[in-house]
Amino acid sequence: MSESVISVSELTRRFGATTALDSVSVSLPRGAVYGLVGANGAGKTTLIRHILGLLRAESGSVRVFGLDPVADPVAVLSRIGYLSEENDLPGWMRVDELIRYTSAFYPKWDDAYAEELRRAFALDPAAKIKDLSRGQRARAGLLIALAHRPELLVLDEPSSGLDPIVRRDILGAVIRTIADEGRTVLFSSHLLNEVEEVADHVTMIDYGRIVLSAPLDAIKESHRSLNEAFIAHVGRAATPAPEA
Amino acid sequence: MRSPALAIGWEFRRRHRWGLIAVAGYLFVVAMIRFLILEPGDPVLVDSVRFAAVVSVPLTATFVYLLAVFSYGFAGDLAARHSMYPARMFTLPVTNAALVGWPMLYGTAAMAILWMAARLFAVWPSGIEIPLIWPALLGAALLAWTQALTWMPYGLPGIRLIVAVLCLAALDTVVLLAIHFKAGEPGMVAILAPQVPLAYLVARFAVARARRGDVPDWRGLSARSGEIADVLRRPRDHFSSPRRAQMWFEWRRHGRSLPALVGLLLPFELVLLWLAKDAAAFVFEILFLVLITPPFMAAFTGWTGSKPHPNVNDSYGVPPFIATRPLTSAELIAAKLKMAMWSTLSAWVLVFVTTPLALAWSGTWPVLIERAQRMNDAIGTPRAVAFVLLILAAFIVSTWKQLVQSLHIVLTGREWLIKGSVLLTLTFLILLGPIVEWIIDSPSVQRALWNALPLILAGLAGLKMSAAAWIATRLDRSRLLGDRALVLGAACWLVAVLALYGVLVWFFSTPFVARYVLALIAILAVPLARISAAPLALAWNRHR
Repeated sequence: MSESVISVSELTRRFGATTALDSVSVSLPRGAVYGLVGANGAGKTTLIRHILGLLRAESGSVRVFGLDPVADPVAVLSRIGYLSEENDLPGWMRVDELIRYTSAFYPKWDDAYAEELRRAFALDPAAKIKDLSRGQRARAGLLIALAHRPELLVLDEPSSGLDPIVRRDILGAVIRTIADEGRTVLFSSHLLNEVEEVADHVTMIDYGRIVLSAPLDAIKESHRSLNEAFIAHVGRAATPAPEA
Repeated sequence: MRSPALAIGWEFRRRHRWGLIAVAGYLFVVAMIRFLILEPGDPVLVDSVRFAAVVSVPLTATFVYLLAVFSYGFAGDLAARHSMYPARMFTLPVTNAALVGWPMLYGTAAMAILWMAARLFAVWPSGIEIPLIWPALLGAALLAWTQALTWMPYGLPGIRLIVAVLCLAALDTVVLLAIHFKAGEPGMVAILAPQVPLAYLVARFAVARARRGDVPDWRGLSARSGEIADVLRRPRDHFSSPRRAQMWFEWRRHGRSLPALVGLLLPFELVLLWLAKDAAAFVFEILFLVLITPPFMAAFTGWTGSKPHPNVNDSYGVPPFIATRPLTSAELIAAKLKMAMWSTLSAWVLVFVTTPLALAWSGTWPVLIERAQRMNDAIGTPRAVAFVLLILAAFIVSTWKQLVQSLHIVLTGREWLIKGSVLLTLTFLILLGPIVEWIIDSPSVQRALWNALPLILAGLAGLKMSAAAWIATRLDRSRLLGDRALVLGAACWLVAVLALYGVLVWFFSTPFVARYVLALIAILAVPLARISAAPLALAWNRHR
């Protein structure tokens, strides 16, 4: 097995009386698509925020590319593309300004690829972010996450922002391309069918604990579907998929 | 809660409970002073400075606070084109009349109660008849018009601020003219009473427009502005570095606020020079007002500019978009400091360009020349030039300092720390007036303070240096700043202190002021600890 892109060991995180993560340990080798699934509030975003260094490990450790993302944010973040669930792009920027600004941070930024994505996502370069629809804002967020060809792409609940067409026609293809190039994708979702379509490896999280982490093929060997596996390990059904 | 009226009222009460409790507490304290502490006719509180500290300043602050509360000013974007009325409320199953009427009723009632309570409970200067009705109506009218004007959608960003300032100033002017012409209470009531229903109609029109999404857009009206926009939209080259990109980001987000505000106020201040003419004292008062404007406005813009989410009142966390920039926390702070520097310089360029022009055109230039000549004769040209440059430098540095000095608090993202700091600052400001006057009135206190001055300064300098040493250690241990940057920063600070000390020694070459006192003043004057703490604060917030 190749070296781990992400290595989380015995990570515990509490917010007051709530335990958001409870002794979580995961190791994600390079070059695959990892689906992080769980109900809303299960701890997916908390785990992702630790991986990005936005939360400091209270106990346990987090390593990304072998580095501590809190101690060395520049070395870690410059190799990650991240689409936030919050979609907090600055509303005052125009799309072309967003691209120009973001490109400054990534030495591997690919102008041609950024332009290709902008056209594919039908984004007007002169449009202000705050005037874009929610789906268009998510597309702009995805564009800046992808255009520097990151070694690790982290998508936090992309379904919550991206419209069905982008999810169905573009996102899947992009994710597969990244994995085929030997890069790594981690995406969280509460939609099991979405994960089932693209993931190589699935990690299920419930009440802050990892209840299952296995290759998708192995899960399908023991269960008829991911949904059945989810019920078997979590004890209840996952959220139904939205209308495409 | 069975009615929209109760629900809207509950939201105000729940969201601003601590502020409203503080207002009630203040009125309670004022009433206690009047009814339990002071004897009838006791003049102890009734002089201008004490009256300002106990009544005028807190009352004005409360008035402004209530304006912001009831116009939903804490949650809205004053500079935006769209209405500041919360859009989430547009989907409630209530009429426009209810959406407008209840907040306006609560707000105007709160204003009227505030005045009535202050009128009844505060100790007012004797010999002046304090009216009961019309100031309450004035407060209510100002609030109603603020609501109407801030809830209105506008065609251009920033227009709201200009329209609101002009309209409210016009209403104030009408009232001042009425006072000047000695209009009685019935006359004032006749002027002010129609304002609230009038403002209600305007506010209802504004909310109805905003509710149906009718936001005018005047940005592309003229061909000329379209051409300018096209020029501005030309694709530009890449930023030469991530630091430069972040500096651009900060400038676009916060940097233009201070020059814009200063530019907005300067014409109103400088036009007074035409009224001053040969009255030298008035000319210098106006010039002082002009010089104090950038640091004063910087205190406001600095506070809002420090907030990671400037348009969201409840969120102090670093937004993921910024937190995931591949820059160190020190580099993110450096961009803010540079932005503050450019913002300061832009504001002062406006002052330095417009003020001489206004002095020349208004014919008040000779007043300044004459005073400069007298100073030149008294202390000599080099010292006169140094004095003027030192004063200007102090104002400029103070402007920059106002912009950045709250970074170490606001960037922590801890609400308890931020609100506690605001409370402490306000308490200090309220107590400052009476303390200063107590010192002025007591020669013995002045003597004791003068004798203890070196000790006080040494204590403060020791505190500052200890804090700086602790911060430097933390910066080093957390690897937020490298050894080279720390040493370079310390060297720059030392050079600035030595330069200031040199100027002070040269300027105050008198045996009455010991040189070590000047050294302590130089140490205290050059910013160090609070600015150095900003990267620590951001890192604490960014990696929670």
